[in-house]
Amino acid sequence: MLSSPLQTFAPPVGLFNVLHSSGISNGMVVEWVLYIVFTFWALYTIVAIYHWVKYSHASLVAFPAIALHLFISIALIVYAFSGTLL
Amino acid sequence: MKEFELEPGEHVVLSARRHWFLFFAGLLPYAIIAVIPFALPKFLALVPSFDSYGVFFTYTTPLGRAAISVWLLITWTGAWGAFTKYFLNAWILTNLRIVDIKQRQYFSREVSSLFLTRVQDVTTDVIGVIPSLLGIGDIKVQSAGAVDEFVMHGIPHPGQMRDLILKYVPEEAQTTGV
Repeated sequence: MLSSPLQTFAPPVGLFNVLHSSGISNGMVVEWVLYIVFTFWALYTIVAIYHWVKYSHASLVAFPAIALHLFISIALIVYAFSGTLL
Repeated sequence: MKEFELEPGEHVVLSARRHWFLFFAGLLPYAIIAVIPFALPKFLALVPSFDSYGVFFTYTTPLGRAAISVWLLITWTGAWGAFTKYFLNAWILTNLRIVDIKQRQYFSREVSSLFLTRVQDVTTDVIGVIPSLLGIGDIKVQSAGAVDEFVMHGIPHPGQMRDLILKYVPEEAQTTGV
């Protein structure tokens, strides 16, 4: 049994200090993480759109589905970058 | 559909996909994942010892905005991928054959045809309360070919589909079984 309440996790200050001493800011790290995620998103989206266009191009659903996906995704990507990261 | 060309005199009678209820049931995990970042701080606030973790869930900071956006983007893309897979799986009944299009994953697609002249038996299965209420079931089409059974899972109104298949099975196949 714990006799004292749990303590909040502390952020990895040591890691940030190493990055800061190398001239890399927190914002740059976050920005690069975002670039990696969005690259994977772009690859996945291209593959999915390829399948839609190849196999369901004649369907009325295909292009609205692609447009909706791009609209929502781009809105989220813009929102992710809307804060001042650097 | 470019996977198969219609024969002369062949026309599509019906194309069917899995029941919408099964599709939405498949989306439920994505909905739960999407809600977690908004619901978790409220649950944490209920437990005094975890109350201090609530600061990790503020989405007004640049890092918070980026984190929630990435979370929602991954969830949304996953859900859209599930819809893509749902849509690319289809059964098509023509006046000559049944075409089963299976999109197991991206770049893994199987298209098989069963000519109605080879149909020997058509069986429907509706099991459970929700499937009975919503009309969700399986159809098993037995053929005289090398592939003994042609199964369609979770299709809407399987009874109607069975009747439609049998309507297009030629008379000679029904009497001789070939």
